[in-house]
Amino acid sequence: MKKNNTALAQGLMRCHECGKLAQIRSTAPPICTRCGSHLHARLPHSFQRTLALLLSGFALYIPANLFPIMTVTKLGVGEPHTILGGIVALIHSDMLPIAMLVLVASILVPLLKLLGLSLLLLCVHFRWQVNAKLWTRLYRIIAFVGRWSMLDIFMISILVSLVNLGGVAQVIAGSAATAFAAVVVLTMFAAKSFDPRLIWDVQND
Amino acid sequence: MKISNYLACPECDLLLQRVFPAVNEKAHCPRCHYLLHRPRIQSITRTFALSLAGLFLLLPANLLPIVSIKILENTHDGTLLSGSVTLFNEGMWAVAVVVFLASIFFPMLSIILSLLISGHLYFHRPNRYLSVWLRTLQHIDEWAMLEVYLLGIIVACVKLASMAELKFGLGLTAFVLLLWVALMLASNFDSVLFWQRIEQLNVHEKK
Repeated sequence: MKKNNTALAQGLMRCHECGKLAQIRSTAPPICTRCGSHLHARLPHSFQRTLALLLSGFALYIPANLFPIMTVTKLGVGEPHTILGGIVALIHSDMLPIAMLVLVASILVPLLKLLGLSLLLLCVHFRWQVNAKLWTRLYRIIAFVGRWSMLDIFMISILVSLVNLGGVAQVIAGSAATAFAAVVVLTMFAAKSFDPRLIWDVQND
Repeated sequence: MKISNYLACPECDLLLQRVFPAVNEKAHCPRCHYLLHRPRIQSITRTFALSLAGLFLLLPANLLPIVSIKILENTHDGTLLSGSVTLFNEGMWAVAVVVFLASIFFPMLSIILSLLISGHLYFHRPNRYLSVWLRTLQHIDEWAMLEVYLLGIIVACVKLASMAELKFGLGLTAFVLLLWVALMLASNFDSVLFWQRIEQLNVHEKK
């Protein structure tokens, strides 16, 4: 193992907030001299936090897809839609590009995040020898695309406030909206609490 | 070994000699290709000007109607705020809070914090809260989701176009301008420079 080229191997740690380097053990309470935040060589309890948030995300992903995300009422007749049902309805009304957009943002991106973060955690836990550069890129993609899943939630909030004419036409948000919003927020926190340096730490070369 | 001559990559922890890229050049980590530093022209001045412009756009973007809908002679205005208010009144308070934070509160806070930080740096005024402000700004950055919201507006309008008459309001113009300001702020922001300046100001004050 030659890994002496990292800051940690040289007895240094980088401030998570402002990037300033500090010597490990140089000050009794490790506090950054520039920005005053607590210093750690790695994000504290990164693995456990990410795992906990990820498992909660998986659990809520089920009701998010099973329950109706919104109910569209036209002339008193209500029609509940699940996430998938809403996409199918869009395809049936010949709005394929929008259907693809919603499919990517509401189904593929959350799945990619949940599975991708699981892979990253497995890699760190079982010390898989991987192309760390590629896996860091996977982490970056997960961290970047996360926020775009909020698309469905924002769309519902706009529909709910616009289509609000009592019995004539009304859109009501369903219970899956809460679950889905929670999945998005939890996976965003999970991506944020994962420290990509752990991937590099477990590599032997 | 002088610590200040070195930096560590935040994503792979590689220890590197500090580099000083020129404006509009990029410094990448040689091992994981993380973008370490990309200096911008007049980052502080531009952040100050842009956040000032953003401040004036906040109220119209939040309060003016973005889209109006007309179904069977009933006209209904939708503003940025009315979405979360309706959700809240329907009992979906958790979703309402998330929408409110992501579409109104965090974009607003990030403009105000940018203004405070760049203003202090522009006029060389030390302030002991500068680092707290910048830390907060860096944390809320990914939770301000104006661009995702714009996509939500587009999808909602496409869905409604077949069943109702839609009219875009002045609020949409203000909203798009605010989004543009937020994107320009993000691309002009040079966090390395900001932290250096804050450190210089604080050291200067202590003397």
